[in-house]
Amino acid sequence: MLRFTFRRLLQIIPVLWIIITATFFMIRFVPGGPFTAEKAVTPEILRNLEAHYGLNKPLYQQYFDYMGSLLRGDLGPSFKYPNRTVNEIIGDKLPTSLELGFISLAVALTIGITLGTLAAVKRNSWLDYICSSTAMIGICVPTFVLGPLFVLTFAIHFQWLNASGWYGPSDRILPCLTLGCVYAAYIARLTRGGMLEVLNQDYIRTARAKGASETRVVFKHALRGGLLPVVSFLGPGIAGILTGSFVIETIFQIPGLGREFVNSAFNRDYTLVLGTVILYASLIVILNLVVDVVQIWLNPKLKFE
Amino acid sequence: MSPTTLPSAVVTPEQIETGNSLWYDAWSRLRKNRLAVCGGATLLVLALLCAFGPFFTQSYQDQNLDLGASGPSAAHWLGTDTLGRDLFSRILFGGRISMMVGLVATFVALAIGVTYGAVAGFFGGKIDAVMMRIVDIMYALPFTIFVILLMVFFGRNIFLLFFAIGAVEWLTMARIVRGQIISIKKMEYIEAARALGLGKRRIIFRHMIPNILGPIIVYTTLTIPAVMLLEAFLSFLGLGVQPPMSSWGVLIKDGAEKMEEFWWLLVFPGGVFSLTLFSLNFLGDGLRDALDVRSSKD
Repeated sequence: MLRFTFRRLLQIIPVLWIIITATFFMIRFVPGGPFTAEKAVTPEILRNLEAHYGLNKPLYQQYFDYMGSLLRGDLGPSFKYPNRTVNEIIGDKLPTSLELGFISLAVALTIGITLGTLAAVKRNSWLDYICSSTAMIGICVPTFVLGPLFVLTFAIHFQWLNASGWYGPSDRILPCLTLGCVYAAYIARLTRGGMLEVLNQDYIRTARAKGASETRVVFKHALRGGLLPVVSFLGPGIAGILTGSFVIETIFQIPGLGREFVNSAFNRDYTLVLGTVILYASLIVILNLVVDVVQIWLNPKLKFE
Repeated sequence: MSPTTLPSAVVTPEQIETGNSLWYDAWSRLRKNRLAVCGGATLLVLALLCAFGPFFTQSYQDQNLDLGASGPSAAHWLGTDTLGRDLFSRILFGGRISMMVGLVATFVALAIGVTYGAVAGFFGGKIDAVMMRIVDIMYALPFTIFVILLMVFFGRNIFLLFFAIGAVEWLTMARIVRGQIISIKKMEYIEAARALGLGKRRIIFRHMIPNILGPIIVYTTLTIPAVMLLEAFLSFLGLGVQPPMSSWGVLIKDGAEKMEEFWWLLVFPGGVFSLTLFSLNFLGDGLRDALDVRSSKD
């Protein structure tokens, strides 16, 4: 167990190094620099700007400088927001995105596991059909359709909630519900499948034969095994919620890191793009590791595969 | 890919008489699955409408500026947009692009995934271990972010879009194909092909891949909606298909910006897009049951 974790931890380092290097050079080989979009400046000013940010050094030198400061945890200055460092911007925007992500994940897990378990326990009943078709709707109606539809219904038509913004607790409802719904649908399908498989196993029959109540059978015995597919989905699911937040933050005008990332890519703010990609990549890679370890802990058989 | 052409392409008359071919069995199972048949029929209708409809409707550029944005009416079934363009024909034209992206990018993913998986599975051993480890690692990468970067930095070119999306979506296909290849590698007819001295490439592409077409077809059907979703996601962020070309993602983006006054601009493109995804998913699920592909991937 420990050895497995340690080995996977070591694998993270080359993966992150490849991501950082690839992104770094990809951005630098692109035509047009961060200052080309601005109103025409004299060549002299452009040279001064480039000298100030170290863009006039040879490329390999820039690369080693960047990697060096990265090791010290410094992501450099932003090119588009003068006087602000990338660390500051990320520190400013990340908490909002994390809050959005975590609430959405909680929503997805709660709705998904509940619907999936209900559908599996009452297999082939009308309840199952309702749960399963709701899940299908969640999968087929993408966030960028569902979000605007929610706004249209609850904010514009009924005027119960704000259409955009991120101030009071009620502003959390629509964005988190939108982002959570899609993953709730996947989780519901996986839970139903996993539970159906487990509910047919001998040890469940044994539990029933020993007179355990249905609730006890479901929650105590079946759920742990039935949720295995859900755990393995959490890795891609979390990555999806992170990238999904780009769209959600755009729709609901939430001042988070996702919207900042898309803007910084449009603005060619090299350092901010790099910093955000590094952050997202590390988050996703580390969370995948956690998911793998939890999976093995839940199902030791996997270790030999 | 539509269910009506599937068996006739593969099943010969003699096989129908004996009625025991894999494809015939699959077809009769698929026909009984009402949702899958509905999905297939809806897709066929949508595809035909998008392919041939624009010859009969107004051009998507025809404007009726007096009208401006108007709701659904007899002249314009789904209303018009703020520039007075007929929404129905815009949806059909957008559908052409969306479906083309769906097909081409899926084909790219298919080509990469099948070749990669087949090579890994066929050679096995160290080659397989290294190749699949790479896939495992790539699974963990934030690829959507890379597609976004590609689109931003290298211009929003539609051909780049095909390849960027295709290059992201091949991983699952590679895993499935590898698993299938391993499971048939030791079969007698492969041994026979080897004994006849056939080259490796010929064995893989002439003898192995035709025998694992079932899973490949199923996951191709399920890759198309994923690809279309990614295209629409990028277009919604303004990074995919660029106006004046339109795709369903572009129309949804437009609609979401103007929905406060003109709800139909959001509801109809969004509805058609979701309907397409529904149909593809139902058809894919139906094919999976019909061809009896187990849901486990390895």
